[in-house]
Order: sequence, then structure tokens, then C-alpha cells
Amino acid sequence: MSGFRTGLGRARGLGASKHGVGHFIAERGTGAALLLLSFWLIPFALAAARGGYVAAREMLGSPVNSALAILTLVVGLYHAMMGVRVIVEDYIERRSTKAILLLLNALIGWGAAAMGTVALLKLTFGSGS
Amino acid sequence: MVELTLPKNSKVGKGRHYPAPDGAEKVRRFKVYRWDPEGQGNPVWDTYDVDVSACGPMVLDALLHIKNVMDPTLAFRRSCREGVCGSCAMNIGGRNTLACTHGWEEVSGAEVTISPLPHMPVIKDLIPDLTLFYAQYESIEPWLHTVTPEPQKEWRQSEEDRQKLDGLYECILCACCSTSCPSYWWNQEKYLGPAALLQAKRWLADSRDEATGERLDALEDPFKLYRCHTIMNCAQVCPKGLNPAKAISEIKVMLVDRTI
Amino acid sequence: MSAYSFTDHRFDVVVVGAGGSGLRAALGCAAAGLRTACISKVFPTRSHTVAAQGGISASLGNMGQDDWRWHMYDTVKGSDWLGDQDAIEYLVRNAPDAVYELEHWGVPFSRTPEGKIYQRAFGGMTRNFGEAPIQRTCAAADRTGHAMLHTMYGQALSKSVEFFIEYFALDLIMDDGVCRGVSAWKLDDGSLHRFSAQTVVLATGGYGRAYFSCTSAHTCTGDGGGMALRAGLALQDMEFVQFHPTGIYGAGCLITEGARGEGGYLTNSEGERFMERYAPSVKDLAPRDMVSRAMTIEIREGRGVGPNKDHIFLHLDHLDPKVLHERLPGISETAKIFAGVDVTREPIPVLPTVHYNMGGIPTNYHGEVVTLAKGDPDAVIPGLMAVGEAACVSVHGSNRLGSNSLIDLVVFGRAVGLHCGEVLKAGARQPEVNDAWTEPHLSRFDRLRHSSGAVPTAALRLEMQRAAQEDAAVFRTGETLRSGVQRLAAVHAKRKDLKVVDRGMIWNTDLMETLEFENLIGQAIVTVEGALNRQESRGAHAREDFAERDDKTWMKHTLAWFDDASGTVRIDYRPVHSYTMTNDIAYIPPKARVY
Repeated sequence: MSGFRTGLGRARGLGASKHGVGHFIAERGTGAALLLLSFWLIPFALAAARGGYVAAREMLGSPVNSALAILTLVVGLYHAMMGVRVIVEDYIERRSTKAILLLLNALIGWGAAAMGTVALLKLTFGSGS
Repeated sequence: MVELTLPKNSKVGKGRHYPAPDGAEKVRRFKVYRWDPEGQGNPVWDTYDVDVSACGPMVLDALLHIKNVMDPTLAFRRSCREGVCGSCAMNIGGRNTLACTHGWEEVSGAEVTISPLPHMPVIKDLIPDLTLFYAQYESIEPWLHTVTPEPQKEWRQSEEDRQKLDGLYECILCACCSTSCPSYWWNQEKYLGPAALLQAKRWLADSRDEATGERLDALEDPFKLYRCHTIMNCAQVCPKGLNPAKAISEIKVMLVDRTI
Repeated sequence: MSAYSFTDHRFDVVVVGAGGSGLRAALGCAAAGLRTACISKVFPTRSHTVAAQGGISASLGNMGQDDWRWHMYDTVKGSDWLGDQDAIEYLVRNAPDAVYELEHWGVPFSRTPEGKIYQRAFGGMTRNFGEAPIQRTCAAADRTGHAMLHTMYGQALSKSVEFFIEYFALDLIMDDGVCRGVSAWKLDDGSLHRFSAQTVVLATGGYGRAYFSCTSAHTCTGDGGGMALRAGLALQDMEFVQFHPTGIYGAGCLITEGARGEGGYLTNSEGERFMERYAPSVKDLAPRDMVSRAMTIEIREGRGVGPNKDHIFLHLDHLDPKVLHERLPGISETAKIFAGVDVTREPIPVLPTVHYNMGGIPTNYHGEVVTLAKGDPDAVIPGLMAVGEAACVSVHGSNRLGSNSLIDLVVFGRAVGLHCGEVLKAGARQPEVNDAWTEPHLSRFDRLRHSSGAVPTAALRLEMQRAAQEDAAVFRTGETLRSGVQRLAAVHAKRKDLKVVDRGMIWNTDLMETLEFENLIGQAIVTVEGALNRQESRGAHAREDFAERDDKTWMKHTLAWFDDASGTVRIDYRPVHSYTMTNDIAYIPPKARVY
């Protein structure tokens, strides 16, 4: 409980952090971008699935497909990270747990984005095997 | 704080049963949450078999009947009995509403279950502690802010501008919306909740107010405002038919508008 | 009473009640630099002002020419000349400024096409000294009281009024005829408190719940009047109880007079617009006492509607649905919920219902409580003020005009703030509260808390309400009133046998209702005694055995003292002020009251 603090003191709390609108815009922006990207992603994925492994690799070698795939990956992961962040903030009260989870969220998200991007670039520039 | 089960001292036991009087014409069972802050025990469910032919049509009428003739110790807030003061907000049949405008016949099932507004500290029986809720309302500074010297007569306001206050100013601060909002349940120390935000919008929407920027500044926060996840419980339960969720999304749009 | 102890507080001003008048007084005092507390048994926006619908009268002239003199004439005539004309002049001249002030604080008034405050017609409000109805009542749709109360609460917060919410005021702390403060019971933790103050302002509202069927909230139990009676003070003009013509049949919920102001009308079982017969010039917009009497006569003569021919229809179904939606949204909803009526298609079943108490704690127009002492009819009680429905200034005399109540709240609330700002010095020394002053408060509280008789409070309250309802109704006779006196005396006697089941201190609503009943019963008794005593018909007090107004004998205010121990009432009188406040207007002499 909050002891002897006044109600207004509790309600004002730490004050407004004067940010959040960026997050709000980014959430909607990435959402809209993913919706647009899905027009590319769905036919691409269907074609890739039909053509098998080799065909898929070949398709991802094209610069247009590769660029769109990188965009989808990064934007999708960023969108997911924002979502997970809100869930962690909603449900996790303890500061240390919350900090660790948010850090993990960022590490996993950005890590996956970096690795995926490198992998796709490798396909495009064919420097891999 | 997220609590998915009731804490040990809040587990509700079985309470007393009050049978209907002999010769009762039409009996309906009311299951009512009871907790005595001066006793030792946990809360209990008391059941009252009410002769509803002897009382009025609303749940409040039944509660008054229980208090007047069956059990004077039952405690609940009530005042206007016509849905304008917001005192008798409680959870009836699983839904937050005003006891005075909600008919007991509207409640389906065998029993009419009545408990205090959810996820608030209980002071006694059906009376929740609304201190923080009121303070959150106070924190949005619910008064007109002007810098321009006041005119001798009224501030002029067009009929169209006045219409922008409709659906906002009618709020009765009953707390049905805020206490139905899961986001408010989990984070009420940080999230202002739908009622306070609806009122924030009421002053943002007032053409006479000159502090729109400061008001938006005070709201721009991941918790105070953005904990609204458009779950929409608020709009569904509002006994005055208002839509806090819409007001909140309009605040969010205002914040975007001053950014891009 | 060692079992109880008080927590002491000291303020410059303590306002009891947080309705329209209490908030206005409190924020005025705070703005004047006085340390101000506002004690209320309910959260401020739950006060009964919230239920006021139609509007607030002021001669702004937004809908055509208007003049404060016309407003004054209407108010005097509405009061059936029992109103004090100096106070009425103060009211109507300060009304426009008080309304503009509310607007500047943010009240969301409805607007005219020019962007001014919208004003509607209301009963008894006329142009040019009674010629024809005028639009004088400023409205925020049909939620004017709600809009005002919420705005004033916000304003009070901005002025740093210190609120003590859900504190139930017990008794006035009196020291040899001087009020030193008030004691109160904090409901949420069961502690007892003493607030000492240079001035206590009673803003506790009316006692509508003395009656069985009223538009008043459950909390309208006249706690200030009860405290005043126990402190040995007199109440004034308590026999004048206003019946609102349009309470919903059965439920008793209010349908605003603004409904008729927007064009609604009443019909009897023959479909006749009967008000045309009773008030040919203003018809359905006659003052409330006349409309209530007309409706009662129609029902009595067998022209009531419904299976039992016991009510009247209010028609709004001819109005443009757009008007209903914009100007009367609240009552459309209320009629749907409580009468099951769609107002765009069907009439609303209505019945005159107890609505307002013209009487109350006598004050002058600064809000200072006065009494008759040593031959001085305007002797001030030091340290005590009253405002709003709890007070009797008297601007409403024997019958209040619709929308004159909200303006009464803010004008006299404001007057209290101004007066306190002028005469009080912030932080001035006050005497220590003496335990002997509050000992009787504790013993009464303890006695009631441990009442262990046989009669539940609710049962005795019901007996009182039925007696008042049946015996002091729209029409009264010596016979009914004598019966009322006897029945209420019996209720008073049974008080010794009360039973309070809940013994707790925290939110003990059983005890709270008992304390409220105690406040009600004294006022119910002085109401019927005053009514029996006044052998004339004036305004809301209609005696069938004395059908005429008698200015020779009865142009005077009733003062009634109540001895709680014996249940006896003592009656005396104060003269009606036969002068105005300034020379800008002459005293309006009595004449026949026809519309």
C-alpha cells in the first residue's frame, strides 16, 4: 500500500515522461508497412514454397526480393519488439525483472534482425556457398 | 499490479442465508459480497431471498429492501436513485453498472450476484475506496485554463464547438469504466484510466480552453495515456452510454497531430 | 465518553456540504485567502445539485430584451409576496455576474447561434412585469446542475479548498450562542473529528426525504436544519414545501420544467390542456404551486389518466426529435428507464412530487444566520452562516420559481465568500475547543449507536414519511394537519425504542441513517406544526379551510423552535421585509396573484 501519501501525490506519480507518441506512431507505421509488405510477402512465400529450396534461394538472390525481405524482417521484428515491450510493461512489476526482460527483448529482436539481414545479403551477393 | 488470483485474505467464503418471509409472492435470490472491516474474517457471500413483489424494479430497490427489512447492516453508497450522481456503481451479474438504473429482471441466471467495483480496495461490503480514482481526476486539472483576460460577459462559443463537448461532459465519475478496464486493474498507480482520460478530453475539446498544449504535455506518457489498449470494456459498461475509448484515441490523434 | 476521542482541526471557515452552494461558498472563501475546509457526507459531485436539470435564471437578455426588475417582479409574485425584497433584489441583480462567472469557469452551457448562453422559458418567468413568458433560464441541455456542480468542484480544487469527503457532520459546536465549529464522523475509518472555525457555513440542502415520495436524493435529509434545531436555533417558513408538478408517476424521478419550457404540455383523461383554464396567460408555464394544485384538482375531479385515474400526462411527442435530442436528452433517457416511455411517441405519466423546501435556516442576504432575539428580528448568530436550500434568505417566500434555486446557490454562495473575505482575518485566533461543548455530541452519538429497542430505523422513517406525505400534501386542511401533528408526535415518541443493529464505526450506514432520521423528524414536525398554525393559503401552502391569502395577519415569516427532548414546537414570527436593497426599485406591494 502507499502509506500516508496523498491521493494526488500518488496520481501524479513521477509525472509525464513526455514521450510515447513516437512509439504510438511507430507501432501504427510499422503495422501499415507490414500490411503493404504482405502484398509482396504472401505471393512470394507461396511461390517459394512451390518451387522448393533451390528456387527459393534463387528468388532471394534478386535484389528486389532481397530488399523487400530485409524490410519485412526488420520492420516485423521491430513491430514485435514494441508489442512485447508493452506486454512486459503491462504485466511485470519488479524493476529488475522488467529491465532484464526488456533488454532480452531488444537483444533478441535486434540480434535476429542483424543475423537475418546478413543471411539475406549473403544470398543476394552470393558470397556464401 | 497484476494479480490473477485473489490474495489469501480476499478469498470469499460462504456467508449467511436470509430466507424469504412467509407468504412472499415472488422470490429472487440476491448473492451479495460482504466484508466487515472491524471483524476478523475474510469476505463472504451472503444470500438474501427477496420478495421482489414488495420492492421496486431496480437492483437498488432490492438492496434498499434488503437493508430496510432484512439486514440493516448491509453497507452501500446511494444517493440520487436516478442515474446522475454515480454513487451506487457496483458489479451486478458480472458487469459494472449503476444499481439504480439496472433492473434486477435484466440480470439473467438464478441469482443476482452483487459485488463491489472490481480490483479496488474494499472499505466495507459494497463500498470501494475511490481515493486514487478521484485524485486521478483531480490530476488532469478539471477546470478551464485561460490566459486572455475574461470578457465582461460570456466567452463566445459556437454551437458546433459546444457540440464537441457532448459525449464528454456528461460523465458522472461513477468509476464503472475505469474499474472494468484490465489495463487499469494491472497499472492503476500509473495509468490514469478511462474516466480521468475522458475528462481530460472534455477540457481538451473545449474551445474556450487555452492550455491544450500543457494538457497534452501532461498526458504524453507510456503509462498515463498509452496504457489504453482499446479493450473497449469502458465503452461497453458506461451507464451513461459514453465512449471513453473513443475519447482516448482522439487524444492520441491530437498528440500525433502536433508531431507530424 | 472516554471510549471516543476527537481529532481536532482548525480552519478559518468550515463549509458543511459540497453541493452547489457549499462549493461556491468554499471556493469564494478560499479565493479570499481564508483557510477553508469543505466537509461532505458524499463526494462533491454526488450532491443533489447534480440532479438539477432545467437551468439557472438570470436576466442576461440573450434571447431578447430582459431586465433584472422583471426578474425581481416575477420572483416576488412567485413567492406570493412572502419573499424579502431586499434579498430578492440582491439575488436578481447579482444573477448575471454569477452566471458569467460560472461560464468563465467552464460550465458547458448550450449556445445560441451567436455563441451566447442559451436561455429557455420557465414557469413564472415573464417579460415586462407579467405580460408573457420570457426565456430567462440559462441551460446546459437538461443537465445544468450536473454541469455546474462538476465545474465548481474543479474550480474548488484549483483554489485549494481542503475537502473532507465522506465525513458525516454530527452537531454544531456552540458556546453560549456563538458557533465555534462542527463535529463530524469520518466514515471510512470510524474516527471522530472536531473542526473549529471562525465561521461555519451550513450548506446541507433540503429535507425532501421527510416525505415518502420526493424527487430528492436519499441523502437529502436536512442535516444542517437538524443540527440547527438541536443547537436551539429556529427554522423559518418550514410549512412551505414545493411539489414539482412533473415527477415520474411511481418512481418520483424528476422531469424538468424545462420540458414545458421547450413546448411540452399537460393533459388530463379527456386529452384537454387543462392549464389553459387555470392560468390563461402563461398556461403550462405557471408557477409550480399552481400547476401542482391544478393537477391535483383534475385528478380529484375524476379526470386523471391511467387505470386508477391517479396521474396526468406530460406530452413531448409533438416536439421535433432534434430539439428533444439537443435540449432534453437526459429526461428522454430518464423517462425511458423509469416509465418505459419513448418521449418521441408517448406522453410521460407524471404526478406532483415533493421537490424543494422554501423554508430553512433564516439568514440575511450576506448568508449570516439570524433569529428573533430580544425583540430584534434580524439578530445575527455569530459564527454561523447558511446558504442554499438549507437556508431561508428568504428569496423564494412561499413558492420558488423554477431555475431560481440554482441562481440562489451561486449568488448567495458567492455572497458568503465575499462577506467572509471582508469580515474575517485569515488565521485569526480562536478559542480552544472545550470538551464540555462537544460532550453532548458524543453522548447522542453513542446512545444512537447502541440503540437496542424494537423498532428498526427504516420502519420508523417510513412511518414519518407516510404521515408527512398524507397529511401535509398539496392541499391541506386543519383536520389533516392535526392528524399529521399527532402521527409525527407518535413517531417522535417511538424514537426511544429505536433499534440499530450495526454497532461498527466504519461505514455504519445503519447508524448514519439513524442520525439522518434524527435530523429529519424535527424538521417534519416543525413543518406540519407550522402548516397547522398558518391559517391562510399562500404559495405552496394551500389550506382548503382558509383558501385566501391573508396579508393582514400572515404577511410574516414563521419561526419554529423545536425541543428535541419533549418534542414540542414553539412558534414566533419575523416580519417580511417591506423594503428593497436600494432605491433603484421600489417595494412591490402585494396584489392578487393571477397568471
